[in-house]
Amino acid sequence: MTDESDQSLISRVLGGDRDSFAGLVERYRDRLGRYAVRMLGNQTDAEDALQDTFVRAYRSLGNCRPDGFGPWLYGILVNRCRTYAARRTRSQEVVVANELAVNAAAVGHSADRDAIRDAISWALGQLPSEQREAFLLKHVEDLSYESMEAITGARSSALRMRVFRAREELRKLLAEEVRD
Amino acid sequence: MTDHDEVLERAIEGLKAPPELSPDFTVRVMASIAADETPERAPRPRWWRRRWTIEVTPLSLAAAAALGVLAVGLSRAGREGPVPTVVETAALATSTPAAQVTQFLLVAPGADSVSVVGDFNDWSATATPLARANGDGLWWVTVPLSPGRYRYAFVVNGTVWRPDPQTSVVEDEFGRPNSVVTIGGA
Repeated sequence: MTDESDQSLISRVLGGDRDSFAGLVERYRDRLGRYAVRMLGNQTDAEDALQDTFVRAYRSLGNCRPDGFGPWLYGILVNRCRTYAARRTRSQEVVVANELAVNAAAVGHSADRDAIRDAISWALGQLPSEQREAFLLKHVEDLSYESMEAITGARSSALRMRVFRAREELRKLLAEEVRD
Repeated sequence: MTDHDEVLERAIEGLKAPPELSPDFTVRVMASIAADETPERAPRPRWWRRRWTIEVTPLSLAAAAALGVLAVGLSRAGREGPVPTVVETAALATSTPAAQVTQFLLVAPGADSVSVVGDFNDWSATATPLARANGDGLWWVTVPLSPGRYRYAFVVNGTVWRPDPQTSVVEDEFGRPNSVVTIGGA
């Protein structure tokens, strides 16, 4: 992966060097991919949403502040995930529900790390999407509420409540998993 | 930390593991960009290369100075005000019909204490205090309520009356703004 700064890579791309954009993709793909996978609960949709995000970012790169590329990219991804989630709700709800159920069944009663990760993936799928989004941005991506406001367009107070409710619900769901 | 908190924290650590994206992901993105790109779609710098011109006239300088004085005055007035400052407030009451439990939430990072007052506790400012939920400035309490329609408000720092900004507001007989929550579809 290149050590060149975001600003420098962006300048190159805007100067006509399209291949320099690959450096930005490499730098951000894992972090953004993590959010997409956790948010959509489905690897295929997550990669599609992520690819869509990078293509849109490339097209609109001229609108991005060079010192704010990361948050700007997050904003695009959050919107793409919302769109993919809504599209899936309309067309593939049953399939998704089955997949989540299979994952949940595979958790069994083990308390090891993988089982807990599977359990929380399942539990995340039970949350309303707004709560899941806020929880992931806060606790997995470690973003400040100020950044989350800019990315999601929601007010800080609403975000804090969503995070609180998500934590309460996850705690409850995970306790049931452990107890079972 | 309770066992349940520990499970949640361990789960969060698990969620932070990097995803296993397809090895050719970056190649696919670049191929998609190449296929999509037309001369009109190639990115071009916009805002930061735009040239800005600010014209300064004696009149505009005078106006700016006047605004500056006003801003400083307002800022001082705010600092010297006797009312405790709550940086941000918002609240929501939701109910779980089966359990008849209503949760009251308030985001008030600047508050030292918060309580909820309403028809259900005879408007007592001490009967139903909210607890700090975490370091986010969020306060909460759950109250068992029978089906019905209740007026309520929050009292911050023992003196500041705050209706819930996320619900409709009605004034009581003293002209104070209160919120309304309806439990169990009553």
